[in-house]
Amino acid sequence: MHSKQDKKPSIIWFQGLTCNGNTHSFLNLENLKNLLDKFEILSHPSLPSTQNFNTVLSCTLECDIFIFEGAYDPLMKRNDTLVSKIVEYYAKSTKHIIALGSCASFGGLFKASAPDRNSGLLFNEQEKSGPLLKYESKVINISGCPIHPEWLAYTLHMIAKGREVEINKLHRPIELYSTLAHHGCTRNEYFEWKVDADDFGEKEGCLYYKQGCRAPMTHSSCNKILWNEVSSKTRVGTPCFGCTEPDFPRQNLFATKTNMSIPEDVPIGIAKRSYLTMAGIAKTFHIKRLEGKLIDYKTAD
Amino acid sequence: MITKQLIDQIEGEASIFFDIKDNVVDFATIAFPHFRGIESILKGKNALDALVITPRVCGICGHAHLMATVRAIEDAYKNAGYPIELSKKITIIREFTLVMEIIQNHFKWIYLTIIPEVAKLNNSTKVQTPLKGAYAASIASKAIAVFAGQWPHSSYMIPGGITADPTNIDLLKAESYVDELISFFEKESIGVSLDAFLSFESCKDFNTLKSDFSYLESSLMNIKMNEKGFAYDRFLVIGTHTFSKPSKLKQTRPFSIDAKYVTTVDTYSPDQASYAKNAQYKNAFYETGPLARAMAGNLKIVKNMHRRFKDSAYTRVMARVFEVATLLEHAKELLSGIDISQKSFLKSVDISKITARGVGVVEAPRGPLLHTVDIKDGLIQEYKIVTPTQFNIGSSTKTNPTPAQKAMMKTTQDEAVFIFRTFDVCSVCTTH
Repeated sequence: MHSKQDKKPSIIWFQGLTCNGNTHSFLNLENLKNLLDKFEILSHPSLPSTQNFNTVLSCTLECDIFIFEGAYDPLMKRNDTLVSKIVEYYAKSTKHIIALGSCASFGGLFKASAPDRNSGLLFNEQEKSGPLLKYESKVINISGCPIHPEWLAYTLHMIAKGREVEINKLHRPIELYSTLAHHGCTRNEYFEWKVDADDFGEKEGCLYYKQGCRAPMTHSSCNKILWNEVSSKTRVGTPCFGCTEPDFPRQNLFATKTNMSIPEDVPIGIAKRSYLTMAGIAKTFHIKRLEGKLIDYKTAD
Repeated sequence: MITKQLIDQIEGEASIFFDIKDNVVDFATIAFPHFRGIESILKGKNALDALVITPRVCGICGHAHLMATVRAIEDAYKNAGYPIELSKKITIIREFTLVMEIIQNHFKWIYLTIIPEVAKLNNSTKVQTPLKGAYAASIASKAIAVFAGQWPHSSYMIPGGITADPTNIDLLKAESYVDELISFFEKESIGVSLDAFLSFESCKDFNTLKSDFSYLESSLMNIKMNEKGFAYDRFLVIGTHTFSKPSKLKQTRPFSIDAKYVTTVDTYSPDQASYAKNAQYKNAFYETGPLARAMAGNLKIVKNMHRRFKDSAYTRVMARVFEVATLLEHAKELLSGIDISQKSFLKSVDISKITARGVGVVEAPRGPLLHTVDIKDGLIQEYKIVTPTQFNIGSSTKTNPTPAQKAMMKTTQDEAVFIFRTFDVCSVCTTH
């Protein structure tokens, strides 16, 4: 039994310049009700809320967790109230600030809507120069375009239990962003033995050499905590676009930038020379199993 | 006097400015305030990057944007002299994931938006179950993810095919998600088997049901939505799919159509800056979306409702619920037609060889979505997006109102706001 003192932590989910992608991704959470039961939702873009939106805008409420989705545009207004005023008010009064998605974390795609003024809450791409510098210690960045619902659920559960969410330099939870998207990719064997994918639409081959895959350079748990509990981009042959990183979206997303046919960016933490030595050796082997079709279906003839 | 009402808990935010006379809406204008400039963000980028950028126009129908982009680029390939022939497998899988996105959209709209709103207007104390909508939508998203890797924001469709090369295991998984959705829909939403529901020919058949659906149906009748919310009784379907037939209808008479007659004009929104443009066909307003698709597809039950209640708010809402049923059945048919031995991707020339214009049209949850891209040496010169909400919910003058403006006239303000929501407003798409 909970005593009266065990008041549920309250949440205001507020949107800046956004596509609603994080909202919709969150609605995919398995056992969504179990999570929601632990909180009081004061305001949310689509879920039942205890306060109406104009009350949120009046800046008279208090909440324990302020979730901000979308890029921060200092000139943007929600129903005639400046977003900058709303963000400042809740940042000051709340205990935890969650910058939800890559736009809120770093500026993301919608930084490009007004590149000179838009940013994330705490970061402007890599640089820590966002509007919430003063409240830095409260900010947790959950980057991703969109976020995986489990990433937010984990963060909220930790807060509800009164446990610390340990974060890294980019203010991202270390339990979610210490691995790379590459970690758990079903094409890893092709990466190890340097077997490229000839083309899209194949089960075979690694997408890192030609198709632009950023998984070895991208911090995320996409191949560990699967999307929709089912799959991931690389598992269906789509290159990782690095959507959790501060430089998302990059250019030429379906091609690997190479210099003299060597990928310009090598896996994080590995010296380019070491990588090239290892890759050179691996390439000298010819492994028949990895060069042919992975599954050899009987043909009709 | 003009009163402003903020509409939230839609996709994004909108404002309606009501001019109330004698307690009913004399006229209303609509503003969509938040501009993101996706079209200009795309300028100068590699055309293939649009496959990653445009799904991010919208969190709820990004897959439709992905398909519009891939169709536009493939059209540009054709116009540049490199036509792309898609295998049947590719076409079916693309259709399947699009259909599942429409289904997830409708489930959310039914449970998170329309049932709670209809309950309010009925002063009903019925316990709300919005999470049913989220649950059903999450199952539909799983079925998408089998082929597309994830939902939202997948980029698995590429010019020439799809990136996935599914196995029988994947097909069976997708089938089981569709089966799960069908049993949820039968048990929780309609209270009768899908087959029986699809065989209904008259609204009177609903009287036998006791379910969320019958609650919605009787509540709409109770607040006389069968006598309100009329738009122009003109419908437009432009996207070509296995589940839709492009045509323009005036009442029930169909005419052939061509996407080239779609134009956009500035909105009339004197009280607040709006970033939405109105979309028209041959300079006239048309209603788009599930009701339009059902009318064009000659769906008996919806034609029956239309005969009795025209394009009222009731018919509009019911057509949307019914589309879930027809699309669930269609999704099963699509899956059974997949031959995994066919190619997933057919290579064509590099995008840098392409200099041409391409147009891609799809039926998104709310109606036709048009993408037009001008490509020079593989780079985007211009990108133009026209969304369904621009057809349905633009803002124009009193003498030439948009479908939503027309539908709100002569109702009370509360009714008008409900009627506005029957169009399933997507502000984020509209202000791309």
